[in-house]
Amino acid sequence: MESKSRTLEITILSGEDLRIDNKSVKKNAFVDVSIDPFNCKTTKMDGEGGSNPSWNDKLVMDMPMQTRFITLAVKCKASSGEKTVGLARIPVTDFIGGYSPETCLQFLSYRLRDPKGLKNGIINVSVRVKEPLHACSSQAAAGLGIPIDGRNDFGVVTGIPIWSGYPSNSFFR
Amino acid sequence: MGNCCSDVGGGMAAVGGTAASAVTGNQNDAVDMFFKSRGIHGLFSQIELSFSASNLRNRDIFSKSDPMVVVYIKERDGAITEVFRTEVVLNSLNPTWITKYTITYHFEVVQTFLFHVFDVDTQFHNVDVKMLKLEEQQSLGEACCALSEIVTKPNRSLTFDLVRREESVTATHSQHRGKLTVHAEECFSSKTTSEMVLRCSDLESKDLFSKSDPFLVISKLVESGISIPVCKTEVLKNDLNPTWKPIFLNIQQVGSKDSPLVIECFNFNSNGKHDLIGKVQKSLADLEKLHSGREGESLFLPTPVGHDFQNKVLKSKLFVDQFSETVQHTFLDYLAAGFELNFMVAIDFTASNGNPRLPDSLHYIDPSGRLNAYQKAIYEVGEVLQFYDADKRFPAWGFGARPIDGPVSHCFNLNGSSNYCEVEGIRGIMMAYTSALFNVSLAGPTLFGHVINKAALIASQSLANDARKYFVLLIITDGVVTDLQETKDALVKASDLPLSILIVGVGGADFKEMEILDADKGERLESSTGRVASRDIVQFVPFRDVQSKSSSQSKGGEISIVQALLAELPTQFLTYMRSRDIKPST
Repeated sequence: MESKSRTLEITILSGEDLRIDNKSVKKNAFVDVSIDPFNCKTTKMDGEGGSNPSWNDKLVMDMPMQTRFITLAVKCKASSGEKTVGLARIPVTDFIGGYSPETCLQFLSYRLRDPKGLKNGIINVSVRVKEPLHACSSQAAAGLGIPIDGRNDFGVVTGIPIWSGYPSNSFFR
Repeated sequence: MGNCCSDVGGGMAAVGGTAASAVTGNQNDAVDMFFKSRGIHGLFSQIELSFSASNLRNRDIFSKSDPMVVVYIKERDGAITEVFRTEVVLNSLNPTWITKYTITYHFEVVQTFLFHVFDVDTQFHNVDVKMLKLEEQQSLGEACCALSEIVTKPNRSLTFDLVRREESVTATHSQHRGKLTVHAEECFSSKTTSEMVLRCSDLESKDLFSKSDPFLVISKLVESGISIPVCKTEVLKNDLNPTWKPIFLNIQQVGSKDSPLVIECFNFNSNGKHDLIGKVQKSLADLEKLHSGREGESLFLPTPVGHDFQNKVLKSKLFVDQFSETVQHTFLDYLAAGFELNFMVAIDFTASNGNPRLPDSLHYIDPSGRLNAYQKAIYEVGEVLQFYDADKRFPAWGFGARPIDGPVSHCFNLNGSSNYCEVEGIRGIMMAYTSALFNVSLAGPTLFGHVINKAALIASQSLANDARKYFVLLIITDGVVTDLQETKDALVKASDLPLSILIVGVGGADFKEMEILDADKGERLESSTGRVASRDIVQFVPFRDVQSKSSSQSKGGEISIVQALLAELPTQFLTYMRSRDIKPST
């Protein structure tokens, strides 16, 4: 367990039935993904979907080992400025150490809650955990080009750099 | 918003079998309609069977045999009906017949066929094959199999040894009668699917205090002028310029690209009486043109004028924002590539079932051999699914009982073993079930969480091993779950796995609450932590609906609801595979 963080490929797929003050969102919804206050990324804005936006935006982020939650904040840009539609907190345990092997693409959906805590729409994302970024110096040279087993127990991690030709869909050949 | 089209459903009930009765084979209108009324399409594939044989027995003295294949459908009660004859191939012991037999493949029914090869005597050669009297022909042997056995073979060909009916099994080895090969080919048309995004503009408000809640119903017109709904969109609330989610229409569902479709826009009413906002009549080809021309088509509304109806053209328009055609891999493609459906079963052993030794218990084993509700459910589902499981070893569990001297277990192995849960075949499940009844004492409460977790674990291990498997867990229960939230949590967690869960309720309990688990009928399942199921993996059905029908079912006409639910499995399988972009080819 030398590595301090892993790489997370999180695709913000779509939202369903997004509302602000009980009115359907018209357009310009986007999502802030934050792992911690200094580690945030934002999707593009959705122009057409209205209250059922679809982003299909893949964000690649570093996730420290100790991270417990990832926060998704669905926001909407209006003339009066940015408004928050709703938040969802994804427990990391939902995609690491759950049923699915963690390096497998997983589809997750969450109920959004608005700032007052009331139920809002649903957000759909897909997550894939890449091999850890760090702690790969010595093993990496030997590991290049060798097909690796994508199902390590997460206690022991084989350090393989992400550029070593690990095909993104290798799980389902 | 699952079953909001009761009006459409009512209209459909009148349609009967007119639409599709031209297709030969086991017609399955009941299931078809059941699904359409719920806005879901069963999975139907047209399959072409072709025949060849080798080393047939020579029955003619001066020449070789002149063989012909006759196909029969074998009903559950053993009755056989002739459905097809090939042509006669002259003077051949290794014939390949040209005429193909086209049938509709139904996942949810075991379609058993009997293939009988005849040698047609020379004196009959100028007689039409349909007119031949089979009792005057010599039999070269016969073979029997289920259609599912053929389609699950990697090359979709099955070769059997021909046997003679009167021969005992032991006598056959001395006389070889040749082999018959049946090859199944899926008709290509069923693979083309059109994807469309439909949008309407300037719809009228039908609600008093708010805007309309529109949804679309797309129906095909059949010759008699009746329309049969084939597709339905979701309901969008308070929207006069709605854009619906993409619609998928299979060419086969609508007939052809040029067949007329009626697209109706309704305002959703919770009482089931939806108001028609407007409609158009267009074929898929027309819709494609609308898309390429980026034009809108005005909706019209039939309005009563005197005794007649006139079509009032409205300001509202229909647009096709996206139109694309794709060839999608079918369920059979996946089977051919070696994908499997694996069957698992979990049985309720809670005390509410009644003492198994008393005849009024749901678990009562009738010495006369009549199956109880649990056995029936296992049999009905297992009988269909076993063909899709290569090793036919099925995990089987019980829950809600106390194994000898132990505490109440909510997931124990039905075979009594402490380390492995699998049993051999449907017979194995039946035997393990009966023996478990003697070895455990019924208790409670009814908890599903444990078995669902166990099944999910198996599914995830298979996923980790890269296996081409999809799992089906059948839970049979007599009562309402005690741990609704825990069950929901387990289901939400499992929704991302290659797993479908079929819950069959037996006995007379009120299963209202269970329907919550079946997301068809309401909102998506939500766990206590706010995670939402990524797809619908649960189907629930109370078995009493089935029992009333199963007596008449052996006659061949009616299809039980359990089978209707099974019919949904290929769709769930495909949704899973497609969402992950898993292709059948290697």
